[in-house]
Amino acid sequence: MMSDQQIIEGCAKHNRKAQQVLYDKYSRLLLGICMRYSSDKAEAEDILQESFLKIFFNIKDYSGTGSFVGWLRKVVVNTAITHYHKNLKFRYHVEIDEYISVETGVSSFEEAFFTSDELFRVLNELPPGYRMVFNLYAIEGYKHKEIAELLGIDTNTSKSQYSRAKAVIREKLGKLNKLKETYSAGDN
Amino acid sequence: MKGDKEDKVLRELFRQKLDNVEVITSPSVDAIIMRRLGRKEFLRFNPARFNIWYLGGILIAGAALAVILNSGSDKIKQVQPQEPPAQAAGEMTGENRNVAQEETGVSRINEPVKSIINPDAGTKENKSEALNDLTDEKTEVRRDNIKVSPPGPVSRDGLFSESISGKDRLQGGSKASGGLIEPSVTEGCAPLRVKFRIKPGSFDACRWSFGDGGYSAETDPEWIFDEEGEYKVTLKIFNANKLLSESSATITIHPKPKAHFEITPEAAVIPNDEIRFLNYSSGAVKSRWNFGDGNSSDLNEPTHSYARFGRYNVQLIVFSEYGCSDSLTVKNAFSGSAYFINFPNAFIPNPTGPSGGNYIPKGDEADQVFHPVYSGVSEYQLKIFSKLGILIFESNDVNIGWDGYFKGQIAKPGVYIWKVRGNFLNGEPFTKMGDVTLLKN
Repeated sequence: MMSDQQIIEGCAKHNRKAQQVLYDKYSRLLLGICMRYSSDKAEAEDILQESFLKIFFNIKDYSGTGSFVGWLRKVVVNTAITHYHKNLKFRYHVEIDEYISVETGVSSFEEAFFTSDELFRVLNELPPGYRMVFNLYAIEGYKHKEIAELLGIDTNTSKSQYSRAKAVIREKLGKLNKLKETYSAGDN
Repeated sequence: MKGDKEDKVLRELFRQKLDNVEVITSPSVDAIIMRRLGRKEFLRFNPARFNIWYLGGILIAGAALAVILNSGSDKIKQVQPQEPPAQAAGEMTGENRNVAQEETGVSRINEPVKSIINPDAGTKENKSEALNDLTDEKTEVRRDNIKVSPPGPVSRDGLFSESISGKDRLQGGSKASGGLIEPSVTEGCAPLRVKFRIKPGSFDACRWSFGDGGYSAETDPEWIFDEEGEYKVTLKIFNANKLLSESSATITIHPKPKAHFEITPEAAVIPNDEIRFLNYSSGAVKSRWNFGDGNSSDLNEPTHSYARFGRYNVQLIVFSEYGCSDSLTVKNAFSGSAYFINFPNAFIPNPTGPSGGNYIPKGDEADQVFHPVYSGVSEYQLKIFSKLGILIFESNDVNIGWDGYFKGQIAKPGVYIWKVRGNFLNGEPFTKMGDVTLLKN
């Protein structure tokens, strides 16, 4: 078994075996990240491909300080952002969706109730712009100012997109919850 | 604050459940990534890694270069019509000894040419081919060259005896005399294929001159006249190396008309536009149009309306006074057609009741239905929202617009938001949005 240090050194020398080990060790985790930024698995795997090519060819840039997994995540997230920019046609979705974003009453739900599969599906169904901001803010923990810089949008846009994304997610989760309740109620 | 707490709950939920989730990659993706990596690694220049692949690449490049050089020298040899045949044959055999592969290369190149010039050649040719007679192959090449650039008479005595002895359709007895040429046709449209025959007679050898610089020594040659004009074909027949007689015939090649046309408007809106076809043909007295949708016209410059958008191959066939024809087909003639979708910014619904949204393109003068003006739309989804974000109307059929009614009631005058998405017939997706003002009658 190779340690991360050995893997990194091997990959820096373009050693095929080290590359394979790195891939086997981290591809599933990184695909999990990609899934959050995509509409489906195929798109996620596209991002994963690009990410790994970047990882293999830029591994020299990894300074060695900080966690290696953190560095890998960062590459993947950056790749996802590039991918998002490439599909900028989505930009036109945003404004009209303001009209859809329903300011209905906040649905309450039991947090522990949802499986990660369901959460993935909720994210996959989000408009790409919402999904991006939500991912970066809620999960990756970026600040709105950083997100605005990364995506080339206004800080306020990032904030408003985030709150709308939340509203849509809540609604979706609420629906899921209701479905589950009726299901389990009928079961009893 | 309540909002902050909820926000935190939601973030925690997604972080906990999704942050370290592993998803199994598809096996094909693993392979693709490793393959792309391998390719990228290989292309990365690294002199320290001079391996078998580089060596292989150099070998292949070297081999390719060698092949190119060899084929180049072949071509040079082919276009040397002045060379006496005997010498050429000798050279061929000499080469044959050295580079056996080259020989097949040459014959392969020649075969298609031969079949064009002499497609239904008689038994003689088949025989010699079957015998794999290298000398004969070579002569075939040379005759082709003569047609390309007439260099003057070529001595081919050796062949005469062979070709004549190979033929037995010549009947002995009757003497050679004038007017011996029997062409299959005397006039026609270019390119015209004419089969020549010699009236029965006795002779040793013959020499045809086709009037366009071409020669032949066959007893019944076939010749293709490519250009319009009058050609004087002469035939000399010899007996025991003595000129017996000379006769001639005239072949008239009529000019070919030239089909040419344009379609207007260039960016046609189908099905709405009436398409005009402009005829720029020359030398034509009659035209035949095939519009590609099953319809046709014999008018000089017809107009036509297509019922629906599609790929249409428009063909024009023109005929000259001699019946010579030419045709021009424009494939997928409306590929440059406009692909667009536009919506009006105001409309007045019919106050008497909902119409169901059906409308006639260009016919809905009163604008009582909100509908797009479009061209080349295949998939389509229209949604109309009120300012409060309520979905008022939805249509997946481009032929169904909004009649201004919502739940059986005429909608309130004011601004509504529409959003449309779909695909054009060329596969390009479109997404558009805007607002429309519903006016009161």
